Amino acid sequence: MEANEMTFAETVVSVLTSKFGGTKDNAAKWDACVVVPKEYLHNAVEFLKNDASMQMDMLLDLAGIDYLTYPNHEGPRFAVSYAFKSTKNPGRRVRLKVLVSEADLNVPTITDLYASANWLEREVYDQFGLVFTGHPDLRRILNHVEFVGHPLRKDYPAQKRQWLSTTDFLVPELEKRLEDKGYKVIQRSKEIMPVEEEYLEGSIRE
Amino acid sequence: MIVLDPNGEKMNLMALNVGPTHPATHHCVRLLAALDGETIVAGVHEIGFMHRGFEKMVERGTWQQVIPYTDRLNYCSAMMNNIAFCRAVENMYGIEIPERTKVLRVIVNELSRINDHFICVAAAFQDLGGTTPFMYAFNPREEIMLIWEKLTGARLTNSFARIGGLYRDSYDGFENDVLAACKSVEKALKDLHACLDRNRIFLDRTVGVGKISAERAISYGWTGPCLRATGVESDLRKDEPYYDYETYDWEVVVGTQGDANDRLQVRLAEIEESVKIVRQALKRLAPGPVDIVDPRIRVPAHKLAYQDMEALIGRFKSVYEGIRVPEGEYYCASECANGELGFTIVSDGSGHPYRIKVRSPSFAHVSAFNELVEGLTLADSMATLPGLNMIAGELDR
Repeated sequence: MEANEMTFAETVVSVLTSKFGGTKDNAAKWDACVVVPKEYLHNAVEFLKNDASMQMDMLLDLAGIDYLTYPNHEGPRFAVSYAFKSTKNPGRRVRLKVLVSEADLNVPTITDLYASANWLEREVYDQFGLVFTGHPDLRRILNHVEFVGHPLRKDYPAQKRQWLSTTDFLVPELEKRLEDKGYKVIQRSKEIMPVEEEYLEGSIRE
Repeated sequence: MIVLDPNGEKMNLMALNVGPTHPATHHCVRLLAALDGETIVAGVHEIGFMHRGFEKMVERGTWQQVIPYTDRLNYCSAMMNNIAFCRAVENMYGIEIPERTKVLRVIVNELSRINDHFICVAAAFQDLGGTTPFMYAFNPREEIMLIWEKLTGARLTNSFARIGGLYRDSYDGFENDVLAACKSVEKALKDLHACLDRNRIFLDRTVGVGKISAERAISYGWTGPCLRATGVESDLRKDEPYYDYETYDWEVVVGTQGDANDRLQVRLAEIEESVKIVRQALKRLAPGPVDIVDPRIRVPAHKLAYQDMEALIGRFKSVYEGIRVPEGEYYCASECANGELGFTIVSDGSGHPYRIKVRSPSFAHVSAFNELVEGLTLADSMATLPGLNMIAGELDR
């Protein structure tokens, strides 16, 4: 059992290295992780999902990482770590990592391959400001709609306070969802913004 | 909202806002539904109302200071989160925890799972208007809570596990209390099944409601009882065993339909399996140490600090500087009550975590919510949500 696990981890690393120009991530000392160039990410994920020898049918997690204050770090500032597992071959896991520089925050989306990618990519966008190109609905998810900045970046001060006053309107998203399901919206709803002064009375914002 | 449906017929839909604070959402989740009469044609949902910045907060403290925060992920089974996090860090250290700790962690894990499942099932029935099962489920839960009080000194946010051990050993009479609790759990299960299994109203409300296929559930990243309800036999305790789970005699419970009823029945059946594991674990519970002896990882016992200089230094350094976890990146997952709770950990070798990302099971479950409820009536959407056991603490972090 243990030997098989090792071989699978080794296989997946070597296959991704030869096919998609990946490199073994040396930071991953306890599990298998491959750094894949951004342009091959989609292909590599598609391979992991569909290839008969891989069958990584579940995308578990996307973790954004900001290396800004990491000691002696070289290379791009951001990284996204994708955790996969297989439900068909239990016990098989692999992580993919893409490096993202501050100059080009785009990462290709994998929402077409996994339904879970939709919210996970939204979360990384929300917390780190990485833009997933091709994502159908890239909005904030955990933070408020009026929030400015990306809180999990290392240069975002933890104690910073922001004034957030309105609820998320959501109707445009609902109309989009209807259209995706084949409905045609004839009459669109408009958001009515309350007078700003109403909100500010007695508020902490002076 | 006037729309043309796919056949070109004119429809007048009502956009109705449900939540964020709605009695059946338990916590805060908002659903904006386009209603045709009572039927939900389309829906979008919003989360984040309880986002407290777990991942930002833990970066500011030491490794041990993460543990109380993990309590607040899934607060219905707080100690499971402690244990999952400690296990991840212990794997990074490459240390083996003492045998007694392993067994105690298994007992605590399974009792927490029982608690969590009881809350989920009880709340689901409460939402459908059945208050009696709620009381049946909460009696044994209270008994387990009393064990928690004696064991940890707290009821809800226990912070019991430590990296390399436990906060303290169990108390005198722990085994008897757990055995008594197991008996009450079994009795309550009988009562619950008597209330529910052939209850016409309950079955009409839940069978075939909120159905999802196994492929779709896997694509959404579903784990735990919700995935097993669709018939996929996936449980980390069997697939990637830890704490000797493979040596206990128990079964993975799976459903067939993947509907709201299955999700609750799977949970009830899992309680039975958990009781089995607890009874076996109690037999294995032999006296011994609960902490590893390594002052660089597990802080030396408090009483030593008054007699021994090294122990004093150890306590001082571990509190002020924090333990130094080996540098590297790691994803480690454990089977919690709701499913796979994973931690992606980035350590720079200092006393503070560089980055900890929580992979919460609820996040995956709730992301499918609008797809589940589209086509159902509004009332059925509220029969669907509790079965997912959405816990805002781990959903919004």
